[in-house]
Amino acid sequence: MKNMVTEKHGETKDVEVDYARLRIPFGPVHPALKEPVSLRVTVRKEEIVDVDIVLGHVHRGIEGLAENRNLVQTLYLVERVCGICSHSHTTCYVQALEEIGEIKPPERALYLRTLIFELERIHSHLFLLGVLAYEIGFDTLFMFTWHVRESILDLFEKITGNRVHHSMNTLGGVRWDVDQSMVEEIMSTMKNLHKYVQQIHDSFQDKSVEKRLCDVGFLAKDEAIRLCVVGPTARGSGVDMDVRRDHPYAAYNDLREDFSVVVKEKGDVYARTEVRILELFESINIIQKILAKLPGGNIRVEDNIIKLMRRIPQGEAISLVEAPRGELLYFVKTNVKGGLSRLKIRTPTIPNVLGLKPMLVGCEIADIPVIIASVDPCMACANRITVVDAVTGEEETMDTSVLRRKR
Amino acid sequence: MDVITAFLLTFPIVFVISLLFDGIDRKIHARMQRRIGPPIIQPFYDFIKLLNKERIVPAMASSQIFTVLPTLAAASSILSSAILFTSVMSGTSFGGDLVVVFYLLAMSSVLVTIGGSSSGNPYGAIGFSRKMTMLIAYEVPLLLSFLSVFLKINSTSYYNAILTQVKVGSMLALAFPSMAVSAVAFLLCIPAAADAVPFDVSEAKTEIIYGPLVEYSGPYLALFKLAKASSNLSLTFLACTLFFYLPALFGDGDSLWLGAFIVCLLLALILWFLTITVPRTVFARMKVGQAFKFYWIVALPLSVIAVVLSALGL
Repeated sequence: MKNMVTEKHGETKDVEVDYARLRIPFGPVHPALKEPVSLRVTVRKEEIVDVDIVLGHVHRGIEGLAENRNLVQTLYLVERVCGICSHSHTTCYVQALEEIGEIKPPERALYLRTLIFELERIHSHLFLLGVLAYEIGFDTLFMFTWHVRESILDLFEKITGNRVHHSMNTLGGVRWDVDQSMVEEIMSTMKNLHKYVQQIHDSFQDKSVEKRLCDVGFLAKDEAIRLCVVGPTARGSGVDMDVRRDHPYAAYNDLREDFSVVVKEKGDVYARTEVRILELFESINIIQKILAKLPGGNIRVEDNIIKLMRRIPQGEAISLVEAPRGELLYFVKTNVKGGLSRLKIRTPTIPNVLGLKPMLVGCEIADIPVIIASVDPCMACANRITVVDAVTGEEETMDTSVLRRKR
Repeated sequence: MDVITAFLLTFPIVFVISLLFDGIDRKIHARMQRRIGPPIIQPFYDFIKLLNKERIVPAMASSQIFTVLPTLAAASSILSSAILFTSVMSGTSFGGDLVVVFYLLAMSSVLVTIGGSSSGNPYGAIGFSRKMTMLIAYEVPLLLSFLSVFLKINSTSYYNAILTQVKVGSMLALAFPSMAVSAVAFLLCIPAAADAVPFDVSEAKTEIIYGPLVEYSGPYLALFKLAKASSNLSLTFLACTLFFYLPALFGDGDSLWLGAFIVCLLLALILWFLTITVPRTVFARMKVGQAFKFYWIVALPLSVIAVVLSALGL
């Protein structure tokens, strides 16, 4: 249907108006979303024809805050970038500082870091699998998955005293040690977990689940490489990348033989889900190996963290870790006063969220929730960065002065 | 029992029983998911709480349709249950009442979706189009299943169906192969008519935020919840009395109307559990296309077979 539409500047323009198209505001508040993100989805009947992704609803200015704090305070600040992968953020940050200050944490500390890292990966993946089940209306699987996840959270509480923000890392080591009885408890939990994860794996192969997850949300391999998607999202599209293997950190160099990188070629939602389920088995295996060869010795080089902080000179470093959602990058630039002159965080959700558009276009409305969930977006992570919508140009950039005024 | 007394008595019974069954359904659903679940009388709390809430009509909505339809939907589904209950309790019915019940049941779900689409919310519109697709999918097999019963009992009256079972001394679904097939088709249609999980595409909360119900709150939502609960009750009660009239095994229905009624209610609860609670616990939600395909490939041929067998006198 042709319509004459008057533009802003008084010109008339021949625009094709398609009345079968419907623009649905998907978010920022929607039952399918764990965190606020706004998708403006244009649909024709049930088919998606266009998607606009608008970020920035939970922008908290963490990078700016970090510049007003000292190095130790920032350690606790970056932990709060994300609730699910808090340990990844602190590990990444602490690694950069240790690089600048030439501090070498003891072996045992590196192993304990890796232990918490893998526990966190299990808890994050279980969280996502539950959400995926919930999105397709399979509440029973959702309840079961989260019930299993509780055992990991209990372990966190027993090891570090906290369920979500573990505060495990400190400069030059870790804060909490595990004793022999704890090692045995983790071992037995892992044994049970292996059984439960097998059940979850079987449930995800159920016909009614497969019907919803297979053949939706395709992301081709070359598209995945072009958009630089990372983590399980990339590995589900056949891109063989994993920071743990490619740039080993913490104790992963010693554990090189004990895990393999799970890669699936198909690139649909089911492939991404399966990558995560199989990674759970890998993580359980890694944890058992860590506990078997846990070296003795101290858990940190120095108890007085302030003394250690003063030892860090001016300098800059880049640090990489494989967070549950993919590659996490920190750029840290310290100044002479024991503070930061620049902190740059590039979370895995930023590239992954860009992958949503090619996944969504051509699918149905019913697929939106599963597809969004399948990249496991962590909006609180992504929204420290101001994103300007290049398509409409409507979004204003939130610079520091705007943020201050709004406060 | 006097027909008028029975009819007037059924309204409070429908109200209490439908919300009670809804509560039992939620409790069992929760226990099957290893949750504690809400108290069994939670739907009553919800109903009273919602009635006391503010009435909100969106500015975009066509307000008259938006506000009248909840009442009509609740009225039609309660009426459908009331007709069935009165028949069983008083032992009378009028010709064509099964057609009226079928109409009222379809009516209450159509009214909900029309109310949703009048709200001006795009999710309401999507819910409307999905519900219309689903109606075409499950109403045809449901209607054919009714038709096979009409052919079998040579009547469109509800009480005649019960009388036939009493006369035969067995349940309809056990006595005749055509009725067994018809019962299967009918039971397959219940989850879709009740918007239970594998077929709740029109309300899918993670996809389209309860579709038609997205803008409804307060007393309107309370009425819709009541409408849904009583239409579920009416469907399951209808299924158990049409095909599985258990009291028929124990002699004539006239002398023990109250006992027969209670037995039928318990049977309805069991059918509710089997056709609504179990599917919504063990399955994931289907897409519209998949649900439509299921009904036209599985339920429709079954109901056609039932009609053919019934016409052949089996």
